[in-house]
Amino acid sequence: MIEIRDLSFEYQTGKPVLHDINLSIKKGEWVTILGHNGSGKSTLSKLIVGLLKPKTGSVVVDGLTLSHDTVHAIRRKVGIVFQNPDNQFVGVTVRDDIAFGLENLQVPREDMIERIERFAQKVGMTEFLNKEPHALSGGQKQRVAIAGILAMDTDVIIFDEATSMLDPKGRRMIVDYMRQLNREGVTILTITHDMKEAVLSDRIVILKEGKILLDDQAELVLNNRDMLEQSNLELLLPLRVRHALKERGLKHPELEALLWASSSNK
Amino acid sequence: MKNIVIGRFIPGSSFLYKMDPRTKIIVLILLMVSAFLVRSLSLIAFGLMLLMVVLIVGRISVKRVLLGLRPLMFLLIFTFSFQIFFNTAGELVFTTTLAYSPGGLGVVVLLWFFWWFTRRRIPFKLLYFLVVLIASGTLLSLFSYGPIFTTSTIEVYSQGLEMALFIMLRLVIIVTLSTILTLTTKPTDLNLGLEAVLKPFKLIRVNTEEMAMIISISLRYIPTLLDEANKIILAQASRGVDFSEGKLKEKLMQIVSLLVPMFIISFKRSDELASAMEARSFVPGRPRTRLHQLTWRPMDTVALCFGLIILSTVIVLRVIGW
Ligand SMILES: Nc1ncnc2c1ncn2[C@@H]1O[C@H](COP(=O)(O)OP(=O)(O)O)[C@@H](O)[C@H]1O
Ligand SMILES: [Mg+2]
Repeated sequence: MIEIRDLSFEYQTGKPVLHDINLSIKKGEWVTILGHNGSGKSTLSKLIVGLLKPKTGSVVVDGLTLSHDTVHAIRRKVGIVFQNPDNQFVGVTVRDDIAFGLENLQVPREDMIERIERFAQKVGMTEFLNKEPHALSGGQKQRVAIAGILAMDTDVIIFDEATSMLDPKGRRMIVDYMRQLNREGVTILTITHDMKEAVLSDRIVILKEGKILLDDQAELVLNNRDMLEQSNLELLLPLRVRHALKERGLKHPELEALLWASSSNK
Repeated sequence: MKNIVIGRFIPGSSFLYKMDPRTKIIVLILLMVSAFLVRSLSLIAFGLMLLMVVLIVGRISVKRVLLGLRPLMFLLIFTFSFQIFFNTAGELVFTTTLAYSPGGLGVVVLLWFFWWFTRRRIPFKLLYFLVVLIASGTLLSLFSYGPIFTTSTIEVYSQGLEMALFIMLRLVIIVTLSTILTLTTKPTDLNLGLEAVLKPFKLIRVNTEEMAMIISISLRYIPTLLDEANKIILAQASRGVDFSEGKLKEKLMQIVSLLVPMFIISFKRSDELASAMEARSFVPGRPRTRLHQLTWRPMDTVALCFGLIILSTVIVLRVIGW
């Protein structure tokens, strides 16, 4: 679905932000990008939808190589939910905000009305359709943002720290949507430093100072203590316990299985 | 900050709510032009009466309208006093002589001390100030014990009084009109109405859709930015900055300490918002379909005629020298 080849990027300031990124995401896959603040995660997601122009290398989405001519077609395939719920709410009301992307795609009015109803219902915001953003919580605003992108019917959704400004309840809700969408076949790319979110995905890519440090199956990455420590990421508590057991030479396969199950929560 | 009424829609169901936003904007413009063309006090007073009828029939709370006037209170009082004291045309209608004596000055000083310590607890500060001001004038004359140092005369002339009332009523009408528009029109509709009304400017190559988008986003972010300002004020207050007190120089520093973070936050915000809009396939200037459509009702034709009749009557009256 997404093929990134030898991608490098720097902002006008001249400081290199990404070096030689190679990443391939298959259709229907759920990939997490983990990394500390400033490691270049948001920059990478902006490069994928052509909000930034790569210095070298290429981005291919669903067979389309990102360029001036294909950028609009690619944005129809990839939607992004950004970190700050307030800075992506364009409409004056919830209804208008979900409509915004559809208006841009020149969807006919009747079709638009139907889709707004359908996706507002899907994220449980039907009763808020006429509400203005300042009457909503952060989590509700993020749900509206998700509905707006779902309504545009994209194949890929990128969640760029979409839960980092929410309370635990709002966070859980968004994570539940991610899971549900992925089951329905949407390709998902989550950007986070929350290990609880990472554990749900199929694959984890660790980004450090603009380079890919590790790219492997979620379970393997989460158990790779050295790598996580190198990139200043904390091990999940059940996994820490599991390691502690191992270090002390204690063997308890049942407990280990239980711990893994509780941390992945699948 | 919370009481800012401009741009706030209050749900309701009177005829003003059912009117097409285009009609409301056009009639608003017609009536404002009329208010500026009117020359005589009696006509403007009649206009205000008409407006009262509209408010009552439209079931608009007078309190809301008064809240809309509040930011203009200072301007109103300033122009009013300026006209009253400095316009000396027409006949003398009122005159009084103030005598400054030790007794009178003593009482007045006491009164101002009292004002200084109680003003925080009074909800209508400006009104309270004016009452105290008038009271001190009266007290000066009442308590003229001891030798009189000097005297001063206050004279009010008919034209000054008339102009003062006239200017005040005109301002009240104009502000009330725009308050009615924003109170009864959903921001979405307001935006659509503006876009439609601006359409003729397309002929001179102004991009009206983009303008409407800018207006819409500004309206959308006013409450958010006010919240932001409140947060910054609280944050500064917790570090010891007091926004309600201080000398002019300190006040200026406080305003800077508010504006600088506001600018930085706004730029970051607009940058992120632009990314979010582009990511959702927004391309400036490209045609878009619209969710909302406006419907013109017979009522709108009536309202438009009403506005036109008022304007033409005012023009005719002005031509024949009223
Ligand atoms: N608009 C910008 N202009 C210049 N430098 C930027 C800009 N945005 C981000 N950076 C820099 O690029 C680096 C990566 O930022 P970002 O991709 O936002 O990281 P992350 O999302 O992983 O926290 C940081 O060092 C940051 O300071
Ligand atoms: Mg980021």
